[in-house]
Amino acid sequence: MNLLANVIQVLILVLAAPLLRGFIARLKAIIQRRRGASIWRPYADLWKLFHKEDLVPKTATAVFRGAPAIGFAVTLVATAFLPLLHSNALVQLDGDIFLFVYLLVIVRFVMSLAALDGGSAFGGMGSSREALVATLAEAPLFLVLTAVAILAKTSSLSQMAQWTTTQNFFDISTVHILAFAALVIVAIAETGRIPVDNPTTHLELTMIHEAMVLEYSGPSLALIEWSQAIKLHVMGALMVALFAPWGMSAVDTAGGLLVALGVYALKLLGLAIGLSIVESSVAKLRMYVVPDFLRVASALAILAVIFTAITKR
Amino acid sequence: MIELLFVVFLAALLFSTIAAWFVAPNAPGHRIPPLFLLVSVLLGLAIAGKCFLTGSTIYLDFSSHLPFAFGFTVDRLSGFFLMLICGLAAPVALFSSNYSDHYSKAAWKWYWSLVPLFILSMAMVVAASTVFAFMLGWELMTLLSAGLILIEGDSEERRRSVFIYLVMMHAGAAAVFATFLLFLPHAEALTFSAMRVAASGLPNSLRTVIFLLSFIGFGMKAGIVPLHFWLPKAHAIAPSPVSALMSAVMLKTAVYGFIRLAFDLLGNPQPWWGYLVLCAGIATAVLGILYALAENTLKRLLAYSSIENIGLIYIALGVALVFQAHSLPTLAALALIAALFHALNHALFKGLLFLGSGAIYRSTSTLNIEELGGLLSRLPGIGISFLIGCAAISGLPLLNGFVSEWLIFKSLLHGSALEPAPALPLLIGAVALASTLAGACFVKVYGVTFLGRPRSAAANDAKSVPQNMDLSLFAMAVACLVLGIDPGLLLRPLYSLAALLVANATPPPELAVISRTMPLVAAAVGVSLVLALRLMKWGGRRVDTWACGLPGLTERMQYTGTSFSKPLRSVFNAVYKPARKLDVEPVGESYFPASITYQSVRTTSFEKTLYRPAVDFVVAAARQLRRLHTGNIQVYLLYIFLMIVSLLLVLRFL
Repeated sequence: MNLLANVIQVLILVLAAPLLRGFIARLKAIIQRRRGASIWRPYADLWKLFHKEDLVPKTATAVFRGAPAIGFAVTLVATAFLPLLHSNALVQLDGDIFLFVYLLVIVRFVMSLAALDGGSAFGGMGSSREALVATLAEAPLFLVLTAVAILAKTSSLSQMAQWTTTQNFFDISTVHILAFAALVIVAIAETGRIPVDNPTTHLELTMIHEAMVLEYSGPSLALIEWSQAIKLHVMGALMVALFAPWGMSAVDTAGGLLVALGVYALKLLGLAIGLSIVESSVAKLRMYVVPDFLRVASALAILAVIFTAITKR
Repeated sequence: MIELLFVVFLAALLFSTIAAWFVAPNAPGHRIPPLFLLVSVLLGLAIAGKCFLTGSTIYLDFSSHLPFAFGFTVDRLSGFFLMLICGLAAPVALFSSNYSDHYSKAAWKWYWSLVPLFILSMAMVVAASTVFAFMLGWELMTLLSAGLILIEGDSEERRRSVFIYLVMMHAGAAAVFATFLLFLPHAEALTFSAMRVAASGLPNSLRTVIFLLSFIGFGMKAGIVPLHFWLPKAHAIAPSPVSALMSAVMLKTAVYGFIRLAFDLLGNPQPWWGYLVLCAGIATAVLGILYALAENTLKRLLAYSSIENIGLIYIALGVALVFQAHSLPTLAALALIAALFHALNHALFKGLLFLGSGAIYRSTSTLNIEELGGLLSRLPGIGISFLIGCAAISGLPLLNGFVSEWLIFKSLLHGSALEPAPALPLLIGAVALASTLAGACFVKVYGVTFLGRPRSAAANDAKSVPQNMDLSLFAMAVACLVLGIDPGLLLRPLYSLAALLVANATPPPELAVISRTMPLVAAAVGVSLVLALRLMKWGGRRVDTWACGLPGLTERMQYTGTSFSKPLRSVFNAVYKPARKLDVEPVGESYFPASITYQSVRTTSFEKTLYRPAVDFVVAAARQLRRLHTGNIQVYLLYIFLMIVSLLLVLRFL
């Protein structure tokens, strides 16, 4: 039952990822008083792309061809570290927070290289801007995880979730609120949402992530879109696991897991609503204001680590 | 038996030098010196491996035959670093056998006679058991590498760089020598074993002085900021295989010296020693990689990146000292293992990258990445290995760089056991920053050099390189992969080594955890990769790159190395402080000017604020002292007389 639940967790993270995207798009449509597409639309998009032809730039090498597959594969593996329905992940080790983040770094590394492989200005532009955003977002991400790891006295995501469920929220709220705020900013930057990047933009000059994948089409693009969706879901699940794991099933029974799934869906819905409101009400930042935005995350994360010293343990 | 083999190894290196003088390039037998060197370093590798893995120790003492204490001891620590030297010298020898083809006869002979001696001097440093042997190797190492730098030309600029290199190395050597001499009144002899015995009896203030001197002396060689000034100058102009040796191995001899002194000879550190090393390491890592990011000359960039990696090693060493000072031996062992593992990792991928840049230079005659591009399809063998090197140095999982960075993160996180709790864990942010900057830096290097379209005719017509070059790079890339997927191979013997240096350590659980996990992750990635490849079609129709529907996309429209790093450079502008100069002619004409010249010069602020004043002071002092030199013999006799009188007075009243 334990193993089964772990596998189901991974499957939810991977297969429900496009649904989350569709949900956010729909929520944004509602907020903006538009009718909007069906929440199942991302699945249809993926299906369409998987059946289309792949167009490859003439200068492209195996790096360009292999990058989407490597990115997808590594994102899949990263999902195995997240606890979702109960405080157990498929793979867990003391120190998996660092491994988890570094797996996501692989995705960025190969995609940035692939962007430069097309040989146009857009790819380089996206790659260069991604390097800027990533560099400034990575340090706060590590510090957020560190802050929670110090409190929980473990550096395994599952153990951290397990520990947090046994805590009274008000004992740990100082660190958690600071770290959560930092993680929100980091997650927005990492997943390329407004106000850092606009996933629905159509103007090449304003793109970051979309400029990097500009040359892709067909099944390769489908893999990229899917891994991007998984990454968004993973970031949401990470927030839930770190800061609101209450409601995770304590015993591995079918009923308990179902309840946990419902609770998880509600928490994710809350995050999705928050993101939709932000995306509908805030304008995209100018490129050179993004570092300031991310510095706020760094400051919050540093404070979170410092405040672990005064938190009851 | 193994003692005899070790002597044979040293003698064989000497013999390769002699052999080089009797063979001419392009004559029959011109493969003999490389082959001989290769065989001798492989012998050395076997000996070092045995000492490191099994802990059998070589003792050689020639003191009774010589007027000074001279001997070798190869224990686990020396064995580890000797393994590093020989392990790297092997691909370098293989690579050089082709690289040296384009040398003139004289340069060829110098090259093949100096390289074995250079390797010999480094082996001597790590194997020395007496101060005399150590310092002899240490000085030879500096001089021989300086000689090797001058093989590829001796222009004014080169000579100036070599001069700076020599001056700073000798200042460092003086500090190292002083470190050892300070043991003297307490130690019976200047042998490491006598010094180890004497160390516990040293007064505390003297121990501190010894530690600080060794930190400066070895830090000078290792390239700790702000003592790194010489490093990019010297490493960038040496022949590429020599740069590989200097960056990957010679810097590690300084790390060896520091570990030998701080952990083995001196022991019992104070907490602030550790924090000092740690802070220096942080500054070195972050500044080193920031400078690297702004460089566009491949070898200068790699040299700056070496500074970053030395910083990471020093961070781990600092953490180890802090833990040792707080009597947490297991955690100290963990951090020490991280430092040693990273030393080996850096040797592997930096050696690979320097040899790769040598191959690029052979093929295109340029090292300016702005003139390169599209090399992957032209040099596939080099390109694939270079990619693995770039990924490894960025610390990506499944490659060796990740394991050591993970160990560093874990040891910093364990710092929450100390007071104040968040101090060490906060530094995780700094290490993460350095690590992602390294990722950005090597995306730039690889993307601009190997991907996209060639930016010059030289890159377009890149010649293929001899197979030996491909092979030597490939061997190192495989080593990076193997250590990344199965780090347990090295972690177990490294623990035995760390346990010798840190008393009462128990095996840190992290070692077993990471050794168990990485093969699992590798398998999982492999399976998902197969799945992902099944989902996509590898074929695909070849089309032109998207250019907004317009024709005429040229290679000049691609992002260059400069434009790639521009956003990051503007964010970290405070570090670079570039002096920019823009001239538009005619003045005031903002549209359609006749000519625009733009210059952006970066001088590191250390040059302006630290070195320039120091040099100016020395020169001014020398000018004042010159007044004493009147050239009049009577005055000189007076000086001698006054000196003797003052010495007598001092001796009378002391």
